[in-house]
Amino acid sequence: MKSKLILLLVIVMVAATILPGCAGTEPEEPAEGGEDITQVDIGAVLPLSGGAAATGVKLQAAMEVAQDIINNEYPDLDIPLAATAGLPNMNNAKINITFADHQANPEMAKSEAERLIDQGVSALAGCYHSSATKPASQAAEQYGVPFVAGSSSSAALTERGLNFFVRVAPNDDMETGMFFEYLKYLNANNGTDISTVAVAYVDNEYGVHAHEMVEKWLENQYADEGFEYVGAVSYAGDVTNVDTEVQQIRDMDADALFHASYISDITMFVNKYKEFGVAPQAVLNYCGGFQDTQFVVNLGENGNYFAGGAAFSSDKLEDLPELAVINEMYKEKTDADLDGPALEEFASIMVIAEAINEAASLDGDAIMEVIHSKEFNAPYFATGAVKFDESGQNEVPASYVVQTLDEEYRAVYPEDISTTEPVAPIPPWDER
Amino acid sequence: MEQIITNGLLMGFIYALVAVGLTLVWGVMDVINFAHGEFLMIGMYTAFWMYSLFSLDPLIGLPISMIVVFLVGVFTYFAIIRRVIDAPGLTALLATFGFSMFLKNFAQFLWTPNYRYINDAVVSGHSIKIGTISIGTPQIVASIGSIILTILVMLFMDKTRTGKAIQATALNKNTALLMGINTKKMYAITFGLSGACVGAAGALMSTFFPIYPGSGALYSVLAFVIVALGGFGNIKGAMFAGLIIGLTEAVGGYLLGTQFKYALVFLVYMIVIQVKPKGLFGW
Repeated sequence: MKSKLILLLVIVMVAATILPGCAGTEPEEPAEGGEDITQVDIGAVLPLSGGAAATGVKLQAAMEVAQDIINNEYPDLDIPLAATAGLPNMNNAKINITFADHQANPEMAKSEAERLIDQGVSALAGCYHSSATKPASQAAEQYGVPFVAGSSSSAALTERGLNFFVRVAPNDDMETGMFFEYLKYLNANNGTDISTVAVAYVDNEYGVHAHEMVEKWLENQYADEGFEYVGAVSYAGDVTNVDTEVQQIRDMDADALFHASYISDITMFVNKYKEFGVAPQAVLNYCGGFQDTQFVVNLGENGNYFAGGAAFSSDKLEDLPELAVINEMYKEKTDADLDGPALEEFASIMVIAEAINEAASLDGDAIMEVIHSKEFNAPYFATGAVKFDESGQNEVPASYVVQTLDEEYRAVYPEDISTTEPVAPIPPWDER
Repeated sequence: MEQIITNGLLMGFIYALVAVGLTLVWGVMDVINFAHGEFLMIGMYTAFWMYSLFSLDPLIGLPISMIVVFLVGVFTYFAIIRRVIDAPGLTALLATFGFSMFLKNFAQFLWTPNYRYINDAVVSGHSIKIGTISIGTPQIVASIGSIILTILVMLFMDKTRTGKAIQATALNKNTALLMGINTKKMYAITFGLSGACVGAAGALMSTFFPIYPGSGALYSVLAFVIVALGGFGNIKGAMFAGLIIGLTEAVGGYLLGTQFKYALVFLVYMIVIQVKPKGLFGW
């Protein structure tokens, strides 16, 4: 009898933890118009625990900076909604971001999104992991709630034909094209002889799709321009060691390596590259762990010469005064500079707030109409604006190629954004 | 392939040391300690903070990691396990599972989820080349340390009075009581010893593995497989099973794809228990 009671208790506990989104009740309808509204609720689903929690808390901090700017007066900050406190067209209603933790679990992302929608949020942001953004945004679509993804990079997210989903960061399709152009630039300007390409990727939505984009771009264009695919290595996200993976990469002996990895795995890879003497002429990283400032903190000089797409590098602060102010506010929370994903999540909150303000409504359709039609002024990005195309993709590329030099991220490509010349080929480990 | 086999063996020794602690508790007390991975995490953090605050190299600080996690183990026994040891097995399992959640989240609360690395340990950044085989010094030191500690635990259990008392308690608690053995003390020492083993593993691994609140998770799962594969309570079994798992992961991953390496580990386990349900060395 006792054991049956215990078993029943376990079943109830397990059900309570894995079935929070299945209440089946209709979510609260957001209020129309602005007269009676004092607070606008926005949901943010992020990896706040688990393997990417280190990144997740930084994304949270960036969103809180956006909330602070929107809700308070910053008259000297020349970005939308900074001069006023709250949303002026919504009776100066303040925005309130409710954070939820998806633990890098797609099922959890979906249930947390549904829970937030049930609580009456007017829009959603997140989720960093493309594998989490996919189901969470699907839930948002079902309820007609706008979803603005800041930093999830899988191109598949904007190929679904959703009406309530947009994404700020360039997708891996765009990034892959940029990476190949960068390699061509290195061959033309740095005397490199890069022709063979390999891919190392984490085995999830993000990594798998990045790998597919490499194959696609090679097939459609860059194979004809002299590039050749030599292989790929995929691995589980919570891997205990990458010895075998690095062995396989070494065996491929590619001139350039594309990495789709998070902070824990890319750090292990770099240490193993040093141990096994693996030094391709160029290593390019999709939006992920490389862009997390912990990369240079953890690896020090071993992290030099790696490159990747990024929406932020500290060498651009001089050119972008608004970004410098935002960075200082962010540093007060995190003791670290912004990084690309954090800036993109910051932008996602700004886009949502501006759209709600311009629509003067919490109705999902009205908000999305503004999101799809408006060019958002974004002086914190090097490219200055955010504008979404029909598929929901930001057609103004938010990122450029950065390279870690002297343990700092430096803009190296394209030339009109770069602040320094790239170093290529990467020096062998025994020559550093 | 020699490189792959070498890598697999080195990791296998490390897995074995992580599993030794678990097999002790499981074998002696019939308790599954779900917080074992978090004990490993505490060992790693202890090494990290000794390094970060006092510039103590993880190898020098290894005894401190062992002592800290030994004490955590003893505390776990007195605070939690002692109260549920005579309850149905599910109760103890849930209790350690809950403790595991608490430890992981408390660590995140205290130390943030940021990944920490020890980059300037004595062994960091060095490797040994034997022919075409390159072996990272952190890994070889960790493996040698694991072998030595595993042997020491075996000797402790076989050759010391306390070790024999623990074995007697494992065989039959009531008879051990009649023979004058303080079984509660033996259980506490077992849990402490389990903690000390995994604390040592944590300190050794801290020289090459990231330290963060979830760092023990997958090691914990692999430890369960190794214990079941090697035989519950069998330290020698844990050692050999650790090597099998390390080799399976490395060689299987290299030949069939690294994305499948953990699937292969569990496949090997399932095949072995079809033939030997109590594990390779279980009886």
